[in-house]
Amino acid sequence: MNTHVILKTEGLCKYWGGLRALDDISLTFHDRQLHGVVGPNGAGKSTLLNLLCGHYKPTSGKIIHEGEPIDAIKPWAFARRGIGRSFQKTNIYPSATCLENCCIAAQRRMGGSFNFLRSRHHQTVLEELATNALEKVGLAKRRDQVAAHISYGEQRQLEIAMVLATSPCVLLLDEPMAGMGHEESLLIIDLLKRLKQEYCIVLVEHDMDAIFELSDQLTVMVDGQHLTTGSVEQVREDPRVREAYLGQGDEVY
Amino acid sequence: MLFQKRTERIFIWVFFPLALMMPLFLEQNTFYVSKLTTIMIFAIFVMSLDYLVGRCGLITLGHAMFYGLGGYIFVMIAPEYDAVNFWIYTFYICAISALIALVIGFLVLRTSGIYMIMITLAFAQMTFYFFSDSIEFGGNDGVFIYVKPDTSLFGISMFDLDNPIHFYYLCLLSLFNTLFFFRLVTRSRFGRVIDAIHENPGRTTALGYNVFVFRLMAYVMASALGAYAGYLFTMQYGFVNPSMLSWQTSGSALVMSILGGLGTLYGAILGTVVYEGLHYVLEHMTEHWLLFMGALIILMVILFKNGIAGYLEKLLEKRS
Amino acid sequence: MTTSLFFVQLINGLQYGLLLFLIASGLTLVFGVMGILNLAHGSMYMIGAYLAWYFVENTGSFTLSAIISAAIALGIGIVVEKTLIQRLYKRNHLDQVLLTIGMIFVFNALQSILWGDDPLGVQVPDALSGAVPLTEVVEYPVYRIFVAFLCVAIAVLMYYMINRTRLGMLIRAGESNREMVECLGIDISRLYTVVFAIGVMLAAVAGVAAAPMSSIVPGMGEHVLIACFVVVVIGGMGSIKGAFVGALLVGLVDTFASVLVPQLSSMMIYILMAFILLLKPQGLFSS
Repeated sequence: MNTHVILKTEGLCKYWGGLRALDDISLTFHDRQLHGVVGPNGAGKSTLLNLLCGHYKPTSGKIIHEGEPIDAIKPWAFARRGIGRSFQKTNIYPSATCLENCCIAAQRRMGGSFNFLRSRHHQTVLEELATNALEKVGLAKRRDQVAAHISYGEQRQLEIAMVLATSPCVLLLDEPMAGMGHEESLLIIDLLKRLKQEYCIVLVEHDMDAIFELSDQLTVMVDGQHLTTGSVEQVREDPRVREAYLGQGDEVY
Repeated sequence: MLFQKRTERIFIWVFFPLALMMPLFLEQNTFYVSKLTTIMIFAIFVMSLDYLVGRCGLITLGHAMFYGLGGYIFVMIAPEYDAVNFWIYTFYICAISALIALVIGFLVLRTSGIYMIMITLAFAQMTFYFFSDSIEFGGNDGVFIYVKPDTSLFGISMFDLDNPIHFYYLCLLSLFNTLFFFRLVTRSRFGRVIDAIHENPGRTTALGYNVFVFRLMAYVMASALGAYAGYLFTMQYGFVNPSMLSWQTSGSALVMSILGGLGTLYGAILGTVVYEGLHYVLEHMTEHWLLFMGALIILMVILFKNGIAGYLEKLLEKRS
Repeated sequence: MTTSLFFVQLINGLQYGLLLFLIASGLTLVFGVMGILNLAHGSMYMIGAYLAWYFVENTGSFTLSAIISAAIALGIGIVVEKTLIQRLYKRNHLDQVLLTIGMIFVFNALQSILWGDDPLGVQVPDALSGAVPLTEVVEYPVYRIFVAFLCVAIAVLMYYMINRTRLGMLIRAGESNREMVECLGIDISRLYTVVFAIGVMLAAVAGVAAAPMSSIVPGMGEHVLIACFVVVVIGGMGSIKGAFVGALLVGLVDTFASVLVPQLSSMMIYILMAFILLLKPQGLFSS
């Protein structure tokens, strides 16, 4: 691993009462790499993302961002440090236009949120930033349409565009291809290939083909525990992985 | 364009010129002038509530607390027999009530939904009892104010507050300024975040906004304007009493804001005018006007959800 | 404060708290099961007191009056739920607030039309009219003690109903998972009607019980409603246990405050509430 470590967890645990949703996870995430996380349902993948973005507080363990422990800071402060996430269930502002959706995100970065009097459209730099984000995901043509009225696949793209508009350094993507058709999935795969040249991406995804194709690093989780981490080839050949998947009777490709 | 909706522009062009000319028709009848003044004042209060409930999604049943505080703060800080400067005291009253709102909001905004409704109500009741039990503030009778402030600014006195017509124009100006101010705020970047929080607070947090702080700012702003309305009311009648703080005041303001069209701001004016108009008519027709008012409110909730502004917008807005 | 005065205040506080529990339990039950905040709950308390007065005047018997009043309240509950509250289930909190404010207006107007605005009073029933000596000099009215025991009895009955009966099982299920109850093939709208009617009856019974202890005046409902809000906020919305603890706390604090710090007495319970809110924003017994 020759690149810079941006985000790292040390012995991360999350218990819900007696249930161990996540048990002793230590991982490192590198700049300009896509780190895939796979595992059967209930393996703790979403819990991991929710901890990494500050939505949940860990029961124990540390999250370290650029050398600083950040597990005690508030949820909104995670995003301020450049850790952006997309959601498994589409989570946008349906009544606003696509541009406005991204403007909300971009404004966090650009500031001026406590400017009470000047028009929100006054400064065009912000809209440029938002438009750029839309262009990156290929939604420029939907710029002025209300988010509720675009297709489901496009809403998933918008979701990613919003994260990009905050100018993040880490992207936590929770099943960006969930519920998408084949064509739309290909678009996202293409997009992620481009994005991973710029960002550190943590990708949770059920689509094995996609994740094998995209990942630089791949982590397999089972029952809240870390099974293995390595390159795609290493993981593919790992007998424990085959066992875990076959044992669960879940999807194997 | 500041006023983006066609309906709102039409409303402004119809309502404000009419309101400007009104005293010409009513010159002989100070009763109606003072009645209209009260409606203008209350519309300011309703608009500040409408901003909180309709634009920020913060449902409060205790907004009257600030309406009353506007009056009581004046009584507390102004000398009894000297005329003070209206503008300076406007600033004092807004600033002090903003500070109070900061503390109350800090407690109240930790909760949400039904909880927040009950807690805001409870805090308002607390202030209600504080003033109605205190001998110093005249208990249920309240306090009289003997001298009206003077309104000179840089040596020029624009309004004579003892003259009902002057006072009417001051309130009308305040109402327009309030609408103008809230429009600026809803259009601003701050307004963008408030809209975002209203629609999807979870996502807004995930984008890195501290939702609590934004809500607190909005709460403080609306409370200060609510207090300003209460201050004007106190100026008009020359007294302040605990009924200004009562839950009925909050409740009827809420009804007016829904009747006008929640979150539309200018709807607050429509709602207040129509509600007060109905109130006036019913009161003259029957001793038991409350019965009809109650029935109307129930019907409104069931059948007329978008309020008058919502109905007008359906008629007047271009369909996209 | 002397020991005997302390004792009298203690009983006063407990008795007031228990009465508050009776009203607040209905409020919290309706919220817990149906998710409805009924601002007109206090009006039911007021209606209970006025009905008690009316039927005592016309029948001469307090017992009979109490039974008739409770039955009427149950009827009002069913009618109101079927005609109005039912429309609120899919609406937001704001609509609930407004509709129930409308109901307060209507009930207040009806009270004014039917019974006028002058304060009324109900005689304590003969059988309960005496006083029990607590010490050699201090005695305490039998009726108040009776009311306290009645409230305890109803609390026990409710506890039994919720934890041991089929209706209670449905109520508990309805609190935790609405869809599940529907999937079990239970007519949820009937359950709601029953729960709402019980809530209304509890408030009205409290009104009947309070009638001989205090004067019956317009606006008595709103006053008690706000006190109930404090109880429910302290105890935790939807929790019967919380309502019980909250009611006793509020009863005791209110009673002792009026002796110890009279100038702050009516504010004291709100200060208590703010304090608890700082420590536990969701109340003491929230789930």
